[in-house]
Amino acid sequence: MNGNSSSPGRPARRRYIPLLYRVAGVNALLLVVAVGVTIVVLDPNRVSSFRVDAEGAALIVALLLVVAINVYLVRRLVGPVQALTALARRVDLSDHEERMPVSDPASEAGELASTFNEMLARLEAERREATGRVLAGQEAERLRIAQELHDQVGQELTAVLLGLARVEARAPDELRGDVADVQRAVRGSLEDVRRIAIELRPEALDDLGLQSALAVLCERFTERFGLQVKQQLGPQLPELSPDAELVVYRVAQEALTNVARHSGAHEAELTLAPENGFLTLTVTDAGNGLPEGVVPGTGMRGMRERATLIGANLTIDGDRVDGGTRVRLEVPTEHRVSLEVRTENGR
Amino acid sequence: MITVQDHRERATAPLALPSNGVPSRLRVLVVDDHPAIRLGLLQLLDDQPDFDVVDAACSAEEARSLAEREPIDVAVVDYQLGARSGLWLTRMLKRLERPPRVVIYSAFSDGPLAAACVVAGADGLVSKGGTGAELCHAIRAVSRGQSRLPLVPPTLAGAMRRRLGSEEQAVFGMLLAGIDPDEIAITLGISEQSLDSRRWAMLHKLEGLRPDPAGAHVAAGRIKRRRAPGC
Repeated sequence: MNGNSSSPGRPARRRYIPLLYRVAGVNALLLVVAVGVTIVVLDPNRVSSFRVDAEGAALIVALLLVVAINVYLVRRLVGPVQALTALARRVDLSDHEERMPVSDPASEAGELASTFNEMLARLEAERREATGRVLAGQEAERLRIAQELHDQVGQELTAVLLGLARVEARAPDELRGDVADVQRAVRGSLEDVRRIAIELRPEALDDLGLQSALAVLCERFTERFGLQVKQQLGPQLPELSPDAELVVYRVAQEALTNVARHSGAHEAELTLAPENGFLTLTVTDAGNGLPEGVVPGTGMRGMRERATLIGANLTIDGDRVDGGTRVRLEVPTEHRVSLEVRTENGR
Repeated sequence: MITVQDHRERATAPLALPSNGVPSRLRVLVVDDHPAIRLGLLQLLDDQPDFDVVDAACSAEEARSLAEREPIDVAVVDYQLGARSGLWLTRMLKRLERPPRVVIYSAFSDGPLAAACVVAGADGLVSKGGTGAELCHAIRAVSRGQSRLPLVPPTLAGAMRRRLGSEEQAVFGMLLAGIDPDEIAITLGISEQSLDSRRWAMLHKLEGLRPDPAGAHVAAGRIKRRRAPGC
């Protein structure tokens, strides 16, 4: 699942004479031989008295010109192959759709380019599908764990609390303090169980829709980390597919988690607004920004993979002029992509 | 965590006292589908000198038929009751001739649920992570006609409101402001039935709840009465 493995594991490139020089060289050699043979065949008497004067000079200039034209033509033929190599080297399937320009479809180079493009499209589709399956599995598993936590552990702890309340009422005075301590500990565990369950599964999203779920998410970050989140949720937002909503929610969750844990900022801003054909989520903070040469962790990679899945653009700008980081997710609202990331209603 | 606040008093009258003027014990119904919690609640509430636990039901249907047969002062209702939600039961209980007060006892006592409780007409929302004393206080408070619902944060209320139709938005706003349903019906010039169906529609949008008009007349006594845990 490692999307950015490029240099490690690749065999060292062999040195070789580029195709352009090989073809041009052979052509030039053939040309010289052909000219020589032609001269000999046409006028064998003149070979002995060949003078390196104006005649010879004209011949050499003409030869050089023909070789130059040959190099130019061959370069045009070989150019697409070099461009293809360069593209194949830098292409990143999780990024945008990068394609070879097909200048002349009715040629070997054109056909090669379009075949290459088809292959890229197929790889991208396969990868999207695989990512979709992995994420769908992950969401389903999260739902299951959240429900187990809630229905089993949470309920048992509640029952323990109720029992303790009875014990406290009947306990002799000298034990009251101890019982209260145990109660506090159990309440703490119960809170943890609930928090983990909620983080695993955004119930509010299933029940209340994206905007309310984001509002609840922001409140929760304020409660838990003391992070003040200024929310700007546009009043009239285009509808997204459930998959896209879940992706927006997860990206917001991850971005806010990063703000709370790493940025050192106490305030953040979350906006959700329509922008010509896109629904744009931005999470901005005025904290430390991203350290130089930061290696994308699982969180950031997860955001990217999710974004790719619904055809959205994700940009993370950790080097802003006024400090801080901005995560920006642009979800296309025109064509809807459904890959069944979402499982059934969570409650 | 949002603390339970007694932030507004409803204009409703406290539960009637018996004719001799001595307050009788509060008749409490416990509804929870988890046996350990049912037992815990039953014991805790039974220990209170001013409570009389009438019964402990393990499903919304059972609780409704119990409440149809016996007068209940306060129902303590789990939010998640398997097939039916505690809010569905709340709407059903509030249709009774002598509707009990309802305290939703839930794992989550957050803003969205508080708003849904307001729409359903519940009187209190108590977190399962709270102390037993908190629950007992809430039961006493709602029996006196007070509301024990957490405040709904304004941004959340705004986001939730946007999911509703324009008339529903008005009802939602008034309910959140603590205005009595009778007054809302008069203000909007609609009948009580139409306000009721609007509340169902709002719950459907906010919580995915569906009304069950046919089920409203399930014959009482269909579910055998059982004392205490053992569903």
